[in-house]
Amino acid sequence: MKAVAPLLAVLLALASIGGARAEGLVSTVSNPNVAITSSFDGETLSLFGNVEPDQGATGVSGPFDIIIVVIGPSVNRVARLKTNRAGLWMNTEQVEFNPFPTYYHVLASNPLDRITDHETLEAERILPDAQTRIAAAPDSPHADRFGAELVRLMTARGLFGIEEQGVKFLSPTAYVAQLTLPADISNGLFITQTYLFRDGRLLAKRGDSFAVNKTGFERYLFTAAHDQPLQYGLVCVLLAIGTGWLGGVIFRR
Amino acid sequence: MNLFFLVGIGAAVGFLSGLFGVGGGFLLTPLLIFSGVPSSVAVASVTGQVTAASTSGALSYWRRGGIDLHLAMYLVLSSLIGVVGGVATFAALRAAGQLDLVISLGYLVLLGALGTIMLSEALRALLRRRAGIVVREKLPSQHTWMHGLPLRIRFKRSKLYISVLPVLAIGVVIGFIGALLGVGGGFILVPALVYLLRVPGNVVVGTTLLQVMAMMAATTVLQAVQSQSVDIMLSFCLMLGGTVGAQFGASAGQYLRGEQLRFLLALLVLAVAVRFGATLVLAPTDPFSLAVLGPGGIL
Repeated sequence: MKAVAPLLAVLLALASIGGARAEGLVSTVSNPNVAITSSFDGETLSLFGNVEPDQGATGVSGPFDIIIVVIGPSVNRVARLKTNRAGLWMNTEQVEFNPFPTYYHVLASNPLDRITDHETLEAERILPDAQTRIAAAPDSPHADRFGAELVRLMTARGLFGIEEQGVKFLSPTAYVAQLTLPADISNGLFITQTYLFRDGRLLAKRGDSFAVNKTGFERYLFTAAHDQPLQYGLVCVLLAIGTGWLGGVIFRR
Repeated sequence: MNLFFLVGIGAAVGFLSGLFGVGGGFLLTPLLIFSGVPSSVAVASVTGQVTAASTSGALSYWRRGGIDLHLAMYLVLSSLIGVVGGVATFAALRAAGQLDLVISLGYLVLLGALGTIMLSEALRALLRRRAGIVVREKLPSQHTWMHGLPLRIRFKRSKLYISVLPVLAIGVVIGFIGALLGVGGGFILVPALVYLLRVPGNVVVGTTLLQVMAMMAATTVLQAVQSQSVDIMLSFCLMLGGTVGAQFGASAGQYLRGEQLRFLLALLVLAVAVRFGATLVLAPTDPFSLAVLGPGGIL
């Protein structure tokens, strides 16, 4: 027993050191329901949180780095290449990406290559390229090239992006990030995945979400067009005949 | 997309359609495509506007008794076959990524031919007027090979006793082109009825308008179901603008000379054709493009 006691003490001490250094993360989104009204021209959200000691731990020690990945709802995308055939420019090759996010932004507190190594970014699928690799049709030989072009086109539209100074630390543990959603944002559930790093090592992950929805009349029209297309079409025809008739009556052509 | 811009574009095209007495779909769809509306949405939404525009016209001809209902019925029923084929082709081309190509080619051929014919005709009329010669437009009255076909039917209102086969063929072709390109097809149907079937002038426009209205109404419903790319708000803005614009166009047309008008319209039609031709021939600024698969795509 005498031999065991110091060993136990050392183990306990080690455990308590480990406990003191275990970091967790609390995070939230400023607006869990983004409403798209008729005058919607984008919206800015705040994503914020704090590095907290984990259960049983007594404190945290930085400096920390944060990466936040915001993923929008997915659709089946296709990237197409135009080439000249017999004097005409036409789409001659295409690669499908099913399903592919409509929105993908990476916000970070530092340049990504200074936060962690490439292997970790790859393993956690943080970079946009990883999304194209997951989604590309498996038998397409040019998936890498079309994937890169797809990310470029999405970035040009402001739907994809990497903001390496997008996360600001307010204190050694509290951070905040501004996320600007463009006007042509897709409806649906957006996932925000927050990664906590220190010295290139991933310490904790946390997922949050917010919903983007059309409201009012726009929402009604949008759902009708997709859920009751027959009635939608008939209403459109009635509207046309009504407008035409009214125009004929008012102006007496 | 801006509401005022859409009503404005509808009014501008409505003005032109009132001025020249044409439907306007063949100008409205290209204008929307050129201003950035996806071609699938432009084609499907303009069909709604064409329905509204032809309703006004058909009503006024109905009041004057300028419609051959019997002939219109055959045209409408056969055009429905064409419409179903056109909408299915539209969806297949869209999935294959070739919709823009076919729409550009279709407009290039259609408007190129139409513009050339109109331009030469308007120039000839202008020259004749300058020379002081008055020529009465007269249709050749002799029978063509079409009158020898079987299944002849008597169309009382048009004073015709002709085979039903060319009537049905014209209907199918018009329905297919109309659904695929988002045009009413009046600018093809009127000459086809006049020159191929010898339909008299007092019923040809009214009958065409009724046929366009019924065909475009069917196309709107089918596009809404099949491709779900009918944007009702876009369509309604165009309807409003078009209905009002057409009135001003029609009254402005009374103060302008016919040949000059046709000359101007021919130039406009040719300009649109050239624009489509340019997108086909000139290298795109970005060879890569992206699209969403499956139905939808409204603004």
